[in-house]
Amino acid sequence: MPRAAGGVVVTLFAALAFTPLAGLLHRALVAPAPPPGHAQAIVVLGAGVDRGVLTEASLRRALGGIALFRRGLAPLLVMLGPDDPGQRTEADIRVELAVDLGVPPAAVLSEARGRTTREEARLSWQALSARGARRILLVTGGQHMPRAAALFRRAGFDVVPAPVEELPAGATRPQGRLELARGLLRELVARAYNRAAGYL
Amino acid sequence: METAFILVVVALTSALALAMARRQPHRRLAAAAGRALEAVGFIALFLLSNVAVGFALALALRATTGSFVSLYVNDDVSLLVLSVLQALVWQSWREPEDPAQPRG
Repeated sequence: MPRAAGGVVVTLFAALAFTPLAGLLHRALVAPAPPPGHAQAIVVLGAGVDRGVLTEASLRRALGGIALFRRGLAPLLVMLGPDDPGQRTEADIRVELAVDLGVPPAAVLSEARGRTTREEARLSWQALSARGARRILLVTGGQHMPRAAALFRRAGFDVVPAPVEELPAGATRPQGRLELARGLLRELVARAYNRAAGYL
Repeated sequence: METAFILVVVALTSALALAMARRQPHRRLAAAAGRALEAVGFIALFLLSNVAVGFALALALRATTGSFVSLYVNDDVSLLVLSVLQALVWQSWREPEDPAQPRG
């Protein structure tokens, strides 16, 4: 039994690291999004902060949201991202970044209470429905987008996906391919959990 | 290019190791490969167990203490390294000890 499992793991590793399999799986599970249109708000999902430093994914998403705002696709930018105990919240750090990059302070909101994508959807709806903003540009990673968009639609939003690429789908280096496969596996587990819990 | 480069490097060091190992003809390569596959299997089983237990523990802590533990904590690469250590100890422990070896 352990030898058979080991054989399966080694075969999978070789296929994922040294062939384009991970990229093919990514393209099969993550549909390409059309160019984003206009909306009433841009909502940027959280992706982590550690002692006041945004993770790479968090920074990519924040910059993606700021770029959409600066293209004039929505009048309001909502930065999400929970607190880091004893530190500034991810949302506040991103708001500061947005203002530094030219977004007017009055056009950017910080919502730091959501700890899961589902909570972010609920809290965003509370913050935006009162302002009459229902159609949103949703900014998150490509792999995360199908689940996030479904949760935000369920919260009441009309979602326009605006994914940012956090991992290269056409990665040619073994490490990049393995990171792509790891992200896909993580997202598939998250989707299964959300379905089992009745959130999707 | 990077893929081919890495595979060539590993092929070279493997060939060198094979040449050194052939000086000890009583050692069987097939048996060694089998044990290596077994170790990989144990690593996978420990990793799956750690992730499953971590997932359940995070949900239980959320439900019982009200504190929030992210499920993504189970995605930490340190869990893989610790699973490797668990599997290697487990495999060594299961193997019969060589009576000729002095005990430490």
